[in-house]
Amino acid sequence: MLSRIVTKLIAGSLLAAVLAPAFAQDAPVRIGYAIARTGPWAGGAQISQEPNFIMWAEQVNAAGGLNVKGKKRKVELVGFDDRSEAETVVRTYEKLMGSDKVDLILPPWGTGANFAVMPVIQKFGYPMIAPTATGRKLLQMKNPYFFAILQQPDVMMNALAEFLKARNTKTAAVIHVDELFGLENLTALETAFKEKGIQIVEKKSYPLGVKDLKPVLNDIKAKNPDAFVALSYPPDTFLVTAQAREIAFNPKAFYSAVGTAFPVYRDKMGPAAEGVMGFGTLNPKTSAAVKAYFDAHKARHKKEPDRWASAHAWAGLQIMQQAVAKAGLDRKALRDAIASGEFDTVIGKVRFKNGENVSTPGVVSQWQSGEFEVVWPPDRATAPALFPKPNWK
Amino acid sequence: MGFWLELAASGLITGGIYALVALGLNLQYGLMRIMNISHGEFLMLGAYLTWLAHTVFGINPIAFLPVVAIALFLTGLLVYRLCFRRITRTSPSVEIIEARSLLIGFGLMYLVQNAVYLTWGADLRGYSFLADAVEIGGARFAANSLLAFGFAVTASLAMLAVLRWTMLGKAVRAMMQSPIGAQLVGIDTAFLHPAVFGAGIALAGVAGALLSMVYEITPGMGEPYTVTALIVITLGGLGSAAGCLAGGLLLGLVEAFGMHFTSPSLKMLLSYAVFIGVLLARPKGLFAR
Repeated sequence: MLSRIVTKLIAGSLLAAVLAPAFAQDAPVRIGYAIARTGPWAGGAQISQEPNFIMWAEQVNAAGGLNVKGKKRKVELVGFDDRSEAETVVRTYEKLMGSDKVDLILPPWGTGANFAVMPVIQKFGYPMIAPTATGRKLLQMKNPYFFAILQQPDVMMNALAEFLKARNTKTAAVIHVDELFGLENLTALETAFKEKGIQIVEKKSYPLGVKDLKPVLNDIKAKNPDAFVALSYPPDTFLVTAQAREIAFNPKAFYSAVGTAFPVYRDKMGPAAEGVMGFGTLNPKTSAAVKAYFDAHKARHKKEPDRWASAHAWAGLQIMQQAVAKAGLDRKALRDAIASGEFDTVIGKVRFKNGENVSTPGVVSQWQSGEFEVVWPPDRATAPALFPKPNWK
Repeated sequence: MGFWLELAASGLITGGIYALVALGLNLQYGLMRIMNISHGEFLMLGAYLTWLAHTVFGINPIAFLPVVAIALFLTGLLVYRLCFRRITRTSPSVEIIEARSLLIGFGLMYLVQNAVYLTWGADLRGYSFLADAVEIGGARFAANSLLAFGFAVTASLAMLAVLRWTMLGKAVRAMMQSPIGAQLVGIDTAFLHPAVFGAGIALAGVAGALLSMVYEITPGMGEPYTVTALIVITLGGLGSAAGCLAGGLLLGLVEAFGMHFTSPSLKMLLSYAVFIGVLLARPKGLFAR
């Protein structure tokens, strides 16, 4: 009797010993995030950000799992729709970190959502690498867990000012969207243009979702500036391009902001996109790694990534992956690894200083025959700039 | 002088687009008191159908307009049969129809919007069609906006004529004033009521089809248009075809001149100031009788 129980116990513990590692291996690394799948932010979020999360998780799992200090573990994404509401963003991250206790988090989409969630990630101590947040205001919060991998407004606007200065541009007109993004970039642009001696002859703000900007564009056309800069969000980026073309306002440099790098911009504008400049970082010609990333994205999602923030989102995931391999899932150690390391990514080497990516320079890109060519700085250029801009087609 | 004409013309064209958006809702809410808050969603459906037909099958969006109209008319009949027939029959007064249809409209809004999110995703979509500028008297306008404007004016005038001078129009107006009385004099309300509702949805779809040529589209594009439509029809006077057109054009003009003299950021402020002003002076709208 006793021996039978002992045998059972031994058999049981043997079984447990055999199963235990298998179970341990099976416990996936849970990675939580909230992102816009519906509502006004969804357009941007579903082009630049979430497709990358999904593709990354699949690739990592296909390769056997995420390397956590030498041990491979599968990853499981726990993603929620934030409905484009800042309150939902904050509440979801509180739930993910506070009660679900996920292992890692990924960022929400957009400057506003990232700004809203920053205090919560600091409270729970989760590092977050944001590919779609720009603004000195965010970095000035000195949140040790927040890392901005996208170029900041001053970096981008300096690049634009240098590009224009190198082409002897004297005057510019600016319109900007009435949001944190537009205001931050406007301040940066004013400083940069003043330094380079470019005079701003007209400056107007407009609300998001505006349906007509022709009266403003007509006023600006009458002032005949060398350069036109629209610090715009996606819907208005399309609107200003279409309406500038409509009234035949064709300055030497035509620059619009978020959305210009989206493939749909080229599809919607057709030949009219030729010569339009905007925020960008790279394109498939930049390197073999970028080409491979574009090909994988197209194969997985049946659509191209954009040529600005998408690759930054991908680079953020690469950094997270490399940091976890080195530091494991201890979040303090992970944060320190991200803060102190230098990482090889699709956008090149990346190093953070005070939470800001200080390795990626400001870039000016321009649509030329269906590709968003990098035209500034010269060492990153994939094509010479079309300057002055050719006539609208 | 040319500058001012151009500014006015630009405002009128945008105003035409506002009127266009409001046409369908004017039939539903203005005439039938069915507060279809999902109006913008059907507009979005029309836009997606056109986008799909043009980008996937290469169909000319103008040639596709009748298809959109018929498809959405039938959708409208179905929606009416499933959602609104019961409330129009069981509600004791038009106020109750309004309140109940509002709730149903909200439900429909989420249903249609999320169905489109599931089908086509949240991406911005768009295509280039008739984007070339047409020069009229020195001013330049995109051909697709002119088309939308032309349709808005034509459809408004047609609706005005039908309602005022035809038996059908008389029957529709009679049905709105007194459903039972209309039945007594031999008007087939069981047919007419769903048909007018369906026509409203069809107009929303056509508006969406035309807008998809001008602006890019997303599944969430409808909601702001519903708000615009509500303002326009209230401004013009509920159920008035002429008022709808006038209300839209007035808003467009105010915005264009407001933008020139102040800043586009004040656009909302100006539009609502006009809205409030009109309602203070004429609480039932510009063209209410």
